[in-house]
Amino acid sequence: MILPFDLILVLFVYICAIAAITIKDLLSAVVILGAYSFFMCLLWAQMAAIDVAFTEASVSAGIGTVLMIGAVSKTKRRSND
Amino acid sequence: MFEFIVNYYNYWMYIGLMMIGFYAMMAKRNLVKKIIGMNIFQSAIIFFYISTSVKKGGATVPILEYAHGHATHGIEHGANAIDVMQYANPLPHVLMLTAIVVMVATLGVALAVVILIYRRYGTLEEDEIMKLVRRG
Amino acid sequence: MKILSIIAGVLMGAALVYGSLDMPKWGDPHSPASTHVSPYYLQHSIEHTATPNVVTSVLADYRGYDTLGETTVVFTAGMACLFLLGKGRKRQGK
Repeated sequence: MILPFDLILVLFVYICAIAAITIKDLLSAVVILGAYSFFMCLLWAQMAAIDVAFTEASVSAGIGTVLMIGAVSKTKRRSND
Repeated sequence: MFEFIVNYYNYWMYIGLMMIGFYAMMAKRNLVKKIIGMNIFQSAIIFFYISTSVKKGGATVPILEYAHGHATHGIEHGANAIDVMQYANPLPHVLMLTAIVVMVATLGVALAVVILIYRRYGTLEEDEIMKLVRRG
Repeated sequence: MKILSIIAGVLMGAALVYGSLDMPKWGDPHSPASTHVSPYYLQHSIEHTATPNVVTSVLADYRGYDTLGETTVVFTAGMACLFLLGKGRKRQGK
C-alpha cells in the first residue's frame, strides 16, 4: 500500500472512465474500457487482492472486451454522443 | 486535516467513479454507452468492497505462509500460531470474485438484447428508437 | 435531460459522501469487518481444508454451493444469449 502509486493509478482510472463515456467512436470507447479494467486490476493487486485482480484481468478485461467488440462489429460503430 | 483526507479519500474515489457511471447510464442516448456506464458503476461497487478488506500496517495477500511442514507456523501450534493482522481480510475477495463473474454474465445478456434491438430498428440511439416505437 | 441527470448524480454522490463519514477509517486493522468473522477463516483454514490460499478455500470449500449457483448463473446467461441470437429460430420459420 503505497500512497503516491495509489493516487497515480486512481488518476489513470478516472481518465479512462471519462474518456470511455465521452468518445464518439464506439470501438475506441470499448478498448478504453478494457484499459480501464486493467488499471482497476492493478489497483486491486496493490490492495493485496490478487485473486480478484486475476479474475478481473481474465474475465472482465478479456472476455468482456471481446463480447463488446463483437457486439459493436455486429451493430453501428458511430455514436451521436 | 491531511490525516482525515488520507483516512477517507478511498471512499470518495469510488463515489466519484459511481457518479460517472450513473451519469452515463442516465444521460447518454447510445445503448452501448449505457452499458459502458453500467460496467463502470459495477466496478466502482466492487472497488468499495475490496477497499473494506485492506489492513494497513504490513498486511499482505491472504495466502498463509509456511503452511505445510514448517515448524514455527501452521497446524502444530494450533490456531493461534497464525497472526491475523498479517493477512488481508479474505471474505470480501470471495464475494467480489462471484460479483465479477455475474457482471460479465449480465454484460453478455445486455449485449445480446442490444444486437436484437439493432436488427429490429436499425439504430442504437434511444430517441430514434422511441420515435420508431411511437410511430408503430 | 442532461442537467437533470447531472443533478441526480451529484445528489447521489453527496448522500454517499455524507454516509462515508461514518465509515471506519480506510485500512484500519481493528475495523468491525476485519475483526468479527474473518479471523476464524484465516486461523482454521489450514486444519479444515489444508489449503494455504484462504480465498480459494473459502470459495471452493466453505461456500461451494454458492460457487455452484454462480456456475448456474453463467450457464443461464450463456443459454439466454444462445436463444436470443441463435440461428435455430430461422430454420424453424422456414
